[in-house]
Amino acid sequence: MSITTQAPLFSATAIAKNFGGVQALRGVDFDVVPGEVHALLGQNGAGKSTLVKILNGVHPAGSYTGTIQLDGRPISFASPADARSNGVGYVPQEIEVLEQLSVAENVFAGRTGLGTGMLVYQRKLEQRAGEIFADLGIDINPRAYVASLTSAQRHLVMIARAIVTKPRVLMLDEPTASLSGTEVDALFAVLRRLKAQGVAMIYITHRLPEVLAICDRATVLRDGQVAVRIAREDFDAETFIFSMSGQRLQRLFPEHSAPVGAPTALEVRHLTVAGHSGAVHGARDINLSVAAGEIVGLAGLLGSGRSEILHGIYGRVPVEGEVRVTGQTVSIKSPRDARAAGIALLTEDRKRDGLLFNLPVGANITIGNLAPLSRHGMVRGGLERSSILTAMRALNVKASSPQAVVTHLSGGNQQKLLFARVLMRAPKVLLLDEPTKGVDAATRHEIYRLVVELAEKGVALLIVASELEELIGLCDRCLVVADGRIVDEFGRGEGGEDRVLRSVTAAQAERHAVAAQVSA
Amino acid sequence: MNSAAEVSAAPRDARSFRRRLIGLIAVGEVGVLAAMALLIAFFWLLEPAFLSERNIRAILNVVSFVGIIAIGQTILLVAGEFDLSVGSVAGLSAVVAAKLMTAAALPVSVGILGGIGVGALIGLLNGLIVVRLGIPAFIQTLGMLFIGQGLIQVVTGGYPVYPLPEAINTIGGTDLAFGLGWSFAFFIVAALVADFVLRRTVLGRNMYATGGNKEVAHLVGINTSAYKIGAFITVGALSAIAGMFVMADLGSGGTSIGSGWELTVIAGVVVGGVSLFGGAGTVAGGVVGILMLKVVQSGLVVIGVNSNWQQIAVGVIMVMAVGLDIVRRRYFIAGA
Repeated sequence: MSITTQAPLFSATAIAKNFGGVQALRGVDFDVVPGEVHALLGQNGAGKSTLVKILNGVHPAGSYTGTIQLDGRPISFASPADARSNGVGYVPQEIEVLEQLSVAENVFAGRTGLGTGMLVYQRKLEQRAGEIFADLGIDINPRAYVASLTSAQRHLVMIARAIVTKPRVLMLDEPTASLSGTEVDALFAVLRRLKAQGVAMIYITHRLPEVLAICDRATVLRDGQVAVRIAREDFDAETFIFSMSGQRLQRLFPEHSAPVGAPTALEVRHLTVAGHSGAVHGARDINLSVAAGEIVGLAGLLGSGRSEILHGIYGRVPVEGEVRVTGQTVSIKSPRDARAAGIALLTEDRKRDGLLFNLPVGANITIGNLAPLSRHGMVRGGLERSSILTAMRALNVKASSPQAVVTHLSGGNQQKLLFARVLMRAPKVLLLDEPTKGVDAATRHEIYRLVVELAEKGVALLIVASELEELIGLCDRCLVVADGRIVDEFGRGEGGEDRVLRSVTAAQAERHAVAAQVSA
Repeated sequence: MNSAAEVSAAPRDARSFRRRLIGLIAVGEVGVLAAMALLIAFFWLLEPAFLSERNIRAILNVVSFVGIIAIGQTILLVAGEFDLSVGSVAGLSAVVAAKLMTAAALPVSVGILGGIGVGALIGLLNGLIVVRLGIPAFIQTLGMLFIGQGLIQVVTGGYPVYPLPEAINTIGGTDLAFGLGWSFAFFIVAALVADFVLRRTVLGRNMYATGGNKEVAHLVGINTSAYKIGAFITVGALSAIAGMFVMADLGSGGTSIGSGWELTVIAGVVVGGVSLFGGAGTVAGGVVGILMLKVVQSGLVVIGVNSNWQQIAVGVIMVMAVGLDIVRRRYFIAGA
């Protein structure tokens, strides 16, 4: 109660922003007072990132409407550097360290005036970094090379970097995404010290136990608006879940029901995917099965291991465990093996893992599928062209010709092109990673219809999607993934978004408790 | 109704014409061929002797040697890697073949196979180290450039290998047509085959995919390591063949065969629209590019420009060509 009566240090009023006709924020009010940790919550697409980018100068003044005030005076930022020099610091979710430099150099990266002219005094850097670390209770040698640090330590280095400028407002975007239980405790200790020093913090997260543990106030965004603002006295996991999962614009999903008595198409036993570089991402002991004609969804937060399960089944990352396709055990060591077994994967990142920008539309569809279109290793031009045209028509890919340049296609058409590629071999099992990411509403519906059509033809589908509403609306069965494990399972009509959020929260609370026991 | 159709057709025509024009510019070979035609006309106007039979033959003869390597280098660049050791490999293969035929007194055919084997082996080594150990091609092949140069001295003791068996001199001296010999014939056949493979076969398409985005190629089931290593072996073997043709032409296993070729070859194929970033370019383009480079060098000699300026011209042309390549890529891969 005492906190909320204090005058806000940093506040935003009636912030609205639209991206090419899509209203991302519709008049949001938000503020923080000194010494407060203010949680910013909401599902993917609720507008959290947009708000933070406005408060941080990434979206510069003029690209949004509304006002920002610091110390009661209106202020606007032209860039993140501008925000920083005004005392507003930001720790991004992705770790952005300079691996080849020492910890001290990273902490002071981009700062000037640490030496004489162009010179930098190494010892002074190390000494000052050491002081900051001591102040925060961080135990990292400033002379160590960042390349040798764990991802948790790197995150702490990034927080130290943000703190060097002595910010009065500090924004942390999902700071615990790559941390384990004890590391989270170390981070919280740092945040409590900053709190004691009067720093106002904005804490963006998906993890409710952390909100309960460290935050003083919480604002929940939904559909670009403030759904609810809750003070610490009224904190309650149920309230959060309810306000986050409130109904949005109803979407129509094509009707489909799980096939009865269909044979199992994909069966996964004790699948374990190692995490990258010691971070928690990965998956442990996954057991699941998908029947022919069934649509199964993997629900969970970003970094929960959903994508890793798909990549493991497709042989993109090394795995332990057993994969069976239509009852037969297959040894999958590479995507090549998976394809031979009748498994196809649509990757999430079109630019990085999907499109070949050096080849035209047609060749992008047939790449990897040329065997039936060639004779003695020579591509049969006429046959290739006609099968490309058939595929483009079937999936309604709008391009001027098979020779068109991929770059010029819209996101939706690029996605349909990739669908055409993975469907050309008529897979028995189709793995879809965020199939509607970055596509327009019309294509989204085309994709829903396509998914259901494929299921009706007997294809087994396993889908990862961040939008829970979409996953629940589309899938016959949902598996909830948290921290690399399947923690819950429910069929169509047996649960909604709230059930997923509740299962994830329960799993995280459990992990938190275990970690606390271990460290105690 | 008629007029409405015309109104809507007019901008579409203009657009399609513009698109066709852009498409034409996008084809690397057309631009380079046009530029080359202009340059030839320019040199010919200044000095009609530029188009003398002798000069044309001289240009084509030189192009046949470096052109053979350019074919391999184009394939390797398309697969997303490049090789700086081609000159050393050419020289080393030539002197090894020469030594096998003379000091070891083996049959000529064994000597030639030995030379090709050395080239292919070095290519395999480059490929394995780049692909499996992840050492950048720049470092690995630069290292191999020096190793090859050193090995040439080790094998020969610093002296040219001479005299060679009569059969080699015959290969070097044969005049098939227009004063051009076996090396030119091999160059043309190899270029046609390689161009066909890249354009029309599954192998070629997979090579473009590998060079365009290795991760995507892997995900669609292409064994990208095998393609890259195969391309390294191809460029090694073709370098060896080029080196041995020069040896046959000279009639001796000289220690300076191939020296300095690596940069000429890369400059040439890049001028011809082969992308240094992988996944783009054709053998035809690479070959035309190297021809253009040689036309410029020869033209500057013929019109009497100081040799220092010839080097400067080559440098300027290469930078301009790569600049053009980048602009072209930026236009087609906007945002990338």
